[in-house]
Amino acid sequence: MDLEIVWLFVQQGVASGLVSGAVYALLALAIVIVYRTTDVANFAQGEIYMAASYLAFFLIVVFAVPVWLAIPLTVLIVCCGAALFQRVVLTRVSSGRGVSVNLVIATLGLSFLLKGMVRFSGFGDAPRSFPSLVPDGAVMIGDASLTYLDLVILATSLLVMALFFWMFTYTKAGRAMRAVGMNRRAAALVGISLSRVQMQVWAFSGGISAVAALLIAPKLLLTVEMGHVATLAFAAAIVGGFTSLPGAVIGGFIIGVAENLVGLFISSRAIVVTPFVVIMLVLILKPQGLLGGAVRVRKV
Amino acid sequence: MRKRVKLLGCLAGTAMLGITGAALAAEPGLTDTTIKIGLFGPLSGASQAYGQDVLNAAKMYYAKINAEGGINGRKIEVVVEDDRCSPNDMVAAVKKLVEQDEVFILNGGSCSAPVVAAKDYVVRSGVPWVMLNASGDGALYPPQPNIFGALSISQRAVGGSTVEFAAKFLHAKKIGYINHDDAYGAWNLEAAGPQAREDGASLIVESVDPKITDVTAPVLKMRAANVDVLVLTTYAGPAQLILKKAQELHFDKPIVVAVNAIANLKQMVDNVGSKDAFKNVYIEELLMAKPGSEKLGWVYDLYKKSYPDLSSQPGHPQVYMPYGIPPAEVVVKALQAAGRDVTRAKFIDAVEHLDFNSVMAGPIVFTHTDHAAQKASIYFKYDGENLTEVPGVFASRWTYKGN
Repeated sequence: MDLEIVWLFVQQGVASGLVSGAVYALLALAIVIVYRTTDVANFAQGEIYMAASYLAFFLIVVFAVPVWLAIPLTVLIVCCGAALFQRVVLTRVSSGRGVSVNLVIATLGLSFLLKGMVRFSGFGDAPRSFPSLVPDGAVMIGDASLTYLDLVILATSLLVMALFFWMFTYTKAGRAMRAVGMNRRAAALVGISLSRVQMQVWAFSGGISAVAALLIAPKLLLTVEMGHVATLAFAAAIVGGFTSLPGAVIGGFIIGVAENLVGLFISSRAIVVTPFVVIMLVLILKPQGLLGGAVRVRKV
Repeated sequence: MRKRVKLLGCLAGTAMLGITGAALAAEPGLTDTTIKIGLFGPLSGASQAYGQDVLNAAKMYYAKINAEGGINGRKIEVVVEDDRCSPNDMVAAVKKLVEQDEVFILNGGSCSAPVVAAKDYVVRSGVPWVMLNASGDGALYPPQPNIFGALSISQRAVGGSTVEFAAKFLHAKKIGYINHDDAYGAWNLEAAGPQAREDGASLIVESVDPKITDVTAPVLKMRAANVDVLVLTTYAGPAQLILKKAQELHFDKPIVVAVNAIANLKQMVDNVGSKDAFKNVYIEELLMAKPGSEKLGWVYDLYKKSYPDLSSQPGHPQVYMPYGIPPAEVVVKALQAAGRDVTRAKFIDAVEHLDFNSVMAGPIVFTHTDHAAQKASIYFKYDGENLTEVPGVFASRWTYKGN
């Protein structure tokens, strides 16, 4: 392999990896905020993202709703749906006596429900797509080619992450979420409504998933199984430290770039195992994740 | 004396009837007036598009034969089961047809994985099985005594035929080949390699996961390798992502899309999003002519006549509908050749001697050592809207050599 090709592979691999990594990062962010504030690993994350994609498809393609209306409508409906699930299902499951694994099983139930609903709609039999919200065309960055859609995906993802960090750091609702994440009992004692905060967190998580779906669905294809991307988001979250929001973002970009570089320099067959190799390396070298803080040893 | 002769005659006649009755009883699913056939395919579920109308086509062909008087004095009686293209459901369907319905032969299967799952049971049962449109390589190689298939095409033949087209029609010396990293991909690659070598071409292979979402790496590697033609034998989803990415990365060489990815051409264009991506695209077709064309008119006419309600619904007939004709023809021709005193063994022997032209690109040929029938394809240039037929038929030359 000559140097010119190596350089081309590096440039294109990093550029394309950052675009797909941005989507993994968004989904990882959604997973981490839910985990931090409710202690639930949301195994329905991929299916929420899938359902949001199909919802946008139904609105734009089937019901011919104008795009300017379909986008906020999709985000709003998914936010409400996620919040409702937390309020109606998770609250009841957690109020019952039992182990916390029931909450995880409830999210698995949601994932099956959403898949079933899409299959039942009759549109889940073949890959589908909806028109790109961005005009066709590409720009060259060095030797790497990125479409306008790629640039919009990257820019919007970064904007959503920045907005989320601002909200999490500087607003009252964000501070309440952080407080609940740190110590639930103490947060309740100072007057924070746990149920309201947890519902807000699920709504935010749903909203972020909907944005990720709206961004990436025109680039990828809609299938009932498209939620498996959440596996990569979980990988990103683990690499970043699982409880760290910046870690989730960095983990997303690492996974996206690593997938492409491994595919280009090692083998296309190795693309699917790359995230798991990265997880193993991180767990061996830094078990708490890249930004997961220091290892805490509890003495008993 | 005459009375004694009559008595002996009666006794002999009764004995003969007993023997004949015992012989018929030994062949389940066969009576003096009927032959029971177990017909199965995906009538529901996510893979319905691959087989519902294929099964309907086979059924309407049997109805046509019955209307013309049946086979050797017997009418065909069909027992239909839904296998949902699921391994568990297909095994259950096949067991029910064999043990409960006691069919004479099995005729079904539109998906490869469930066909492979049902293989062992069918081999043990000894019931002859003619598949519908499943590739079915896993059940056909090595050949099993009572299983026949690849009436549309096997995956080996897909690999061989697409490479033949790239080398002979597009004059490629360096062929890029993207397949899946599963058994399906391994099967088509097994024939693609030798065919390329025989045609004096080299094969650059990238195998990808069927669930791949970012196809930058395989497409960029193909561009960097400067291949003359890119052959895609992936499923619909990855093929559409690759077509889109090829356009984004300015890959301008011809792309040949195998039949595996072409369940719905319009949907393919919609998903790729731009007709510009189809400037240099060829697609594989297994039928003898363009679907819906005059040469195949009788199949579509018979479908409309047989299923007036279904044919008026959008999406029907499904793309693969005509693929149901050759399997039914195989069953009918073999039963005719086996004669009135048909047995399962005679039926199997008759199938192994079939060689006829059907509605497919190549002839339907079975031998004692090759139970995969059809190995050829025709090709169309597809610009995202119009299909322009390429002259010639391109066949795979791969043959099973044993382990």
